[in-house]
Amino acid sequence: MIKDISRSWQSGVSKTITFIVTKDCQLACKYCYLVGKNEKERMQWEVAKKAIDYILSKEDEFTQESVIFDFIGGEPFLEIELIDKICDYLRTEMFRLNHHWFNSYRFSFSTNGINYHTPQIQDFIKKNKTHVSVGITIDGTRKKHDLNRIWKDVLPEKGSYNDVVRNIPLWLEQFPNASTKVTISSADIPYIRESVMHLFDLGIKDIHINCVFEDVWKENDDVLFEEQLMALADDIIDGEYYKDFSCSFFDENIGKPMDSMDVRNWCGSGTMIAVDAQGFFYPCTRFAQYSLREKPAISIGDINSGIDKNKLRPFLTLDRLVQSSQECIDCAVASGCAWCQGENYDSAETDTIFQRSTAICRMHKARVRANNYYWNKLYRKLESEGIPSDEGNVSKKSTHQPC
Amino acid sequence: MLKYLIVQLDDAAPSFCHYPSSDFGSSLMDIEVLRDALRWSMKENLTVQFIYPDYKLPEDYLVLIDSVYHADIVSSENSDEALRSEADVIICDSWEALTAYPLQKKQAYVLRVRIDDFLKHSSLLKKVVPLVDRLNVVFTDVEKYDDSVNPRYAEVLKEIGHYIREEYKRNHAVQINLLTDRIFLDEMNNCNAGSESVTLCPDGNFYLCPAYNKDLTRTVGNMTEGLNIRNPQLLRINHAPICMKCDAWQCRRCLWMNKMMTLEFNTPSHQQCVMAHIERNASKSLLDDLKTAGVLNTHKEISEIDYLDPFDKINI
Repeated sequence: MIKDISRSWQSGVSKTITFIVTKDCQLACKYCYLVGKNEKERMQWEVAKKAIDYILSKEDEFTQESVIFDFIGGEPFLEIELIDKICDYLRTEMFRLNHHWFNSYRFSFSTNGINYHTPQIQDFIKKNKTHVSVGITIDGTRKKHDLNRIWKDVLPEKGSYNDVVRNIPLWLEQFPNASTKVTISSADIPYIRESVMHLFDLGIKDIHINCVFEDVWKENDDVLFEEQLMALADDIIDGEYYKDFSCSFFDENIGKPMDSMDVRNWCGSGTMIAVDAQGFFYPCTRFAQYSLREKPAISIGDINSGIDKNKLRPFLTLDRLVQSSQECIDCAVASGCAWCQGENYDSAETDTIFQRSTAICRMHKARVRANNYYWNKLYRKLESEGIPSDEGNVSKKSTHQPC
Repeated sequence: MLKYLIVQLDDAAPSFCHYPSSDFGSSLMDIEVLRDALRWSMKENLTVQFIYPDYKLPEDYLVLIDSVYHADIVSSENSDEALRSEADVIICDSWEALTAYPLQKKQAYVLRVRIDDFLKHSSLLKKVVPLVDRLNVVFTDVEKYDDSVNPRYAEVLKEIGHYIREEYKRNHAVQINLLTDRIFLDEMNNCNAGSESVTLCPDGNFYLCPAYNKDLTRTVGNMTEGLNIRNPQLLRINHAPICMKCDAWQCRRCLWMNKMMTLEFNTPSHQQCVMAHIERNASKSLLDDLKTAGVLNTHKEISEIDYLDPFDKINI
């Protein structure tokens, strides 16, 4: 009766290994956290191969049941030739080594979707069909999408909506359960409602949507945000979209005090690995220099000397309490309040990952109020229709990590 | 709460801890900066610890220093014989310096030594232990420690434990930090830079510890504008995820080494944890021995544990 929020493949039992294959992109999205994008830093095959050889040689240390090889940019599909070579090598090497990841691997892509239809990318998808997942980012209506997602170096400013939306039918045909990721910054707020509904109408059933973690919020943004989410809640419930579609803004488990015993870190940095064109390893792409405004990169090693486990220790022991202010610890609506470790680091007063940014606080609280409205209204509706709420296949799952 | 002000009187003053002695050359703290610092220390109820350069200070400095309660930390190479004989702590930068020094029980000694050198010559302590009341062994290359050394380090500590036990039998309660501190502590007591102590350097800036002297990215205030430690909670034990769950209470928990090796002040390296746990376990054996021998009457106990790095217990 109520659609579950989708979860990522092998969530919780997989290792994510990210190849930053390029720092270039056709677009120059205004909210992009990648402040150091450039056309020069493209990964070379020798670097990729060395990274793979290192990672696959450490099977005893990477014991996760499954692996997601994630390709990121910039725009990863700009380097499809390299990616194809990497994936071929991974597959043959995992087989040759009888590695436990063979048959439990996935190649994952987050793309702007512009080149999705091209023969090279289509050939790659067909070749790796059973092991590929692709997320195309489309932000909603033409107006909202083109507000931020504009072409690089094109004047006058030119949005990319048309170039992406034309590939959505092909994408959904190949990946019917695909989800898209929508990012909200201050200027987007007035378009949230129409954008989510537009994406539903395009046939995208799962919308993973989150506010940026950077401190971009203006006065009254939280009020506008709440109004938009309330209106969206009305649309979803009145139009009975909840049966087939989900929007991650609405989640039953958010907006409650945290269990004092639950000290887990929200962010998974450190449990994943990213490697860049220079062959440096990072605890997540957000710690590579092109992602950081204020702070130096945090590298945890490189393809020649391997991973320095001492540099991973802070990430793997970081818990919710040691990085949170007392106000956050005591917050009555703390559950679901997310953070990005990279943004925490970049905005911290000192060079530490142990200081949680609270830039998102007002937006989270606004989301919680709208979320409460959503579930109260939905349950009342179901009840009035004679459907007990506990028969509704209600999502009990926690919110997704938004990056 | 701050308890100590460490004053590095000259850039060339020797290291008394893990960090290397500076190679900046000599630059004596301005006497007016020193005067302000001492007035401030009295207002803040801080005990002052002076680290001296190896040359004799001008008389007006000595008079000023003597105007406050303080402790003197001095190199064994210091040319001021009177200062050396009265100093509270003598720094010895080698086995040779320690064994050649006219050791006396009223002074505490710091032996700064490389790990391999310590393991090679540890039997020299047999002659040192009867002559001192307190010796701190400080390793200058913890970052190079390797797990393959674990058995040897444990063996050496066991041997030193025998020397200590013999002294106890002679009614001499000698303290060697690696082995006896854990026996008498009831909680973590270690570096505490930035939470219990702060350092003033000749440039007039405060630093968390002397290791950061002249690193202007690491100042935590100055005598003019006052102390300003940002994120001070991260220097305390209750914000150190590994250390707060650890009972190797004698561990140096050196914040400078933490930062250097893990990039965070509140996270110790594997090397520091493993060494501290080998010391902890050796302390347990020594405690049991002293109790069995009837030379230490205490209810204290140190439990058996099955790990050397508490990270392995946390991160499972």
